[in-house]
Amino acid sequence: MNATVASEYSAERHSVPIEHRFNPYSDNGGTVLGIAGEDFAVLAGDTRQVVGYSINTRYEPRVFDVGDNIVMTANGFDADGAALIDRFRNSLKWYKFDHNGKRLSILSAARYIQHLLYGKRFFPYYVSTLIAGLDDEGRGAVYSYDPVGSYEREQCRAGGAAASLIMPFLDNQVNFKNQYVPGSDGKKKKELRYLSLEEVIQLVRDAFTSATERHIYVGDGLEILIVTKEGVRTEYFPLKRD
Amino acid sequence: MSSIGTGYDLSVSTYSPDGRLFQVEYAAKAAENAGLAIGLKCADGIVLAVEKIVQSKLLVKGANRRIMSLDNHVGMVSSGLLADGRHLAKRAREEAQSYRDQYGAPMTMKALIERVAMYEHAYTCYGSVRPFGISTILAGVDKTGPSLYVVEPSGSYYGYRASAVGKGKQLAKTELEKLDLSSITVKQGVMEVARIAHLVHDDNKDGNFELEMTWIGPETKGFHEHVPSQLLQEAEEAAKRALEEAMEED
Amino acid sequence: MNHDPYVWGRPDDAVYGAYNHAIANASSHGNVQEETSFPKMNSQQPIITGTSVNSIKFKDGVIVAADNMGSYGSLLRFNNIERIFKVGKETVVGVSGDISDFQQIQRLLDELEITEEIYDNDGGHNLRAPNVHEYLTRVLYNRRSKMDPLWNAVVVAGFNDDKTPFLRYVDLLGVTYGLSAICTGFGAHLAIPLLRQLVPDDKDYQNVTEEQAREAIINCMKVLFYRDARSSDKFTLVTLKQGQPPKFEKDLRCENQNWRFAKDLVGYGSTQL
Repeated sequence: MNATVASEYSAERHSVPIEHRFNPYSDNGGTVLGIAGEDFAVLAGDTRQVVGYSINTRYEPRVFDVGDNIVMTANGFDADGAALIDRFRNSLKWYKFDHNGKRLSILSAARYIQHLLYGKRFFPYYVSTLIAGLDDEGRGAVYSYDPVGSYEREQCRAGGAAASLIMPFLDNQVNFKNQYVPGSDGKKKKELRYLSLEEVIQLVRDAFTSATERHIYVGDGLEILIVTKEGVRTEYFPLKRD
Repeated sequence: MSSIGTGYDLSVSTYSPDGRLFQVEYAAKAAENAGLAIGLKCADGIVLAVEKIVQSKLLVKGANRRIMSLDNHVGMVSSGLLADGRHLAKRAREEAQSYRDQYGAPMTMKALIERVAMYEHAYTCYGSVRPFGISTILAGVDKTGPSLYVVEPSGSYYGYRASAVGKGKQLAKTELEKLDLSSITVKQGVMEVARIAHLVHDDNKDGNFELEMTWIGPETKGFHEHVPSQLLQEAEEAAKRALEEAMEED
Repeated sequence: MNHDPYVWGRPDDAVYGAYNHAIANASSHGNVQEETSFPKMNSQQPIITGTSVNSIKFKDGVIVAADNMGSYGSLLRFNNIERIFKVGKETVVGVSGDISDFQQIQRLLDELEITEEIYDNDGGHNLRAPNVHEYLTRVLYNRRSKMDPLWNAVVVAGFNDDKTPFLRYVDLLGVTYGLSAICTGFGAHLAIPLLRQLVPDDKDYQNVTEEQAREAIINCMKVLFYRDARSSDKFTLVTLKQGQPPKFEKDLRCENQNWRFAKDLVGYGSTQL
């Protein structure tokens, strides 16, 4: 069957549309990582933004303090990430207007973000989203999402370009997967314990220096946002720029 | 009033037997008794001024501007119901923007006044609406030079070399007629308008007032801007001196 | 009378009745019902395009340059296009990509300037570069989300509220970033390395003088003219300095061109090894 019928004056009619599709997404690289401690949580991300083989910039913050002792990142397609975080910030502001300045718990923030993501189920935000903060009992909390809003609370999660490089390392170093008590002949699992903030920061730095070595989309700088009951503070460490 | 009780003044869609629309006339009354606004077309631009009666000592000086810009090159001030004035300005801005968008050039004053007047006129044709309770001065400088128009609640408009609307407009107009309007510059215009505003105002009857003034001229490169505070102050001081001198002569 | 040439000479429904499409499974083109059930179609490619915009911060300002060419594919269609324009008092916007979309952006920003700077002209608030950039980001991201993008990469240059230089990028996808030297398109590959010699680190712009920045940008325009086939050697350069209106220099030319390297080129449609 002919897809077109010729007509004079080029008034050509198509019986099936010719499709050239504009690609509304791009991959802006970068990787992020969240770890929950006993009474703190950290959310870290590198500061490089790329497209293809070009580095757009060596410093574009990726992790944000969105208020109410919650930090957030949405890593993948940067424009979607920025839009999502903007929307969450705005919702949080209206939550306060509507509820007499009430603090939004991390649990409610987590559920709300699911709705933001799932609301665009059929044109998704192309991002891996993480939030971190303290739960109602004051324990560190990290929530992670897939692009369409499926979420869970975890002890730690890596997202973005080098997630697959970092996550196994975290399984081993945070959840002690495949670690056994010496001399038990691989029979007794190493007992779980909370890591201290110093240990966690060292872990995050190691994870990122390693990812920088092996992934071209990771590097330039590492920004770690640390949430404790005192509030949010930021630490910055340079990474290799090659 | 002859109209009261006749039943012919309840709707703008009903004429009285002698062919009048009383609602439109009442709207004009609302405009007549509000603070005075003056517009002056000069050789090189335009000047607009409004007398703002100080309603309360708690109001911040210089706040609550009354003269509005409709576009880079057009100013507007109205006397009457303030909210009606702001609504009309919003409509006029939309007209000016859409003209710019469609034709890629600033709207001429002639085209703008036509649309603004048509809009006001529409509010005199239907029983479900009320006419605008404002008299409005629109002044601007376009490719044809400076121009100034006054629109009434009826939707009728006229072009003037100078005009005044609101309380004391008769006296103000008499004073404006004495000026040499074919050669006056905006700088001189500012001085004269300030003088007239102070002359017309009666402190004893109306209480204190603040004078707000804008202009378009060589000094503003064709933009509608507020008169610099220093110049405005000079003009007001000169106006007060002139009044005192005139009092002494009497 | 139906004036569409397509229906001329075809049997009139009013005379012969509607065509029975069921016969031989004929396609039902021209059927209004079917036409409206087409997917919505939007422009999906740039038509007339402008190439790189190049920009760099210096100690107390920003320099932006873009050439004056509009290409229609490989045809030099226009040589008089100004792709850098002023918004408000101290901000300029440089646009590469589709020229008609660029003109749409220009109209939007002209309107923004009137609503923000003219309607409230009491002073106090000013429309500055960060505001213009934020606005443009929303426009471009919303258009991409409608699958009807404005096909451009845009550089916004100006000053922050604290009077430090501002330079930030946004493109057709709504992706944004800021740094001390920004080039779009081909410039991102060829000119950025030259400019980053001046500003290896973001904060280094504070040690760059206007003269250094200007020389580097002019050099970039020349290098791009050598290698970017869609560029011209006639360009506009805008200098923004704190407290002064933007200085536009139009019809500049790439001086001291030296094409001797060309004879040694191999490949790319010239001599093969």
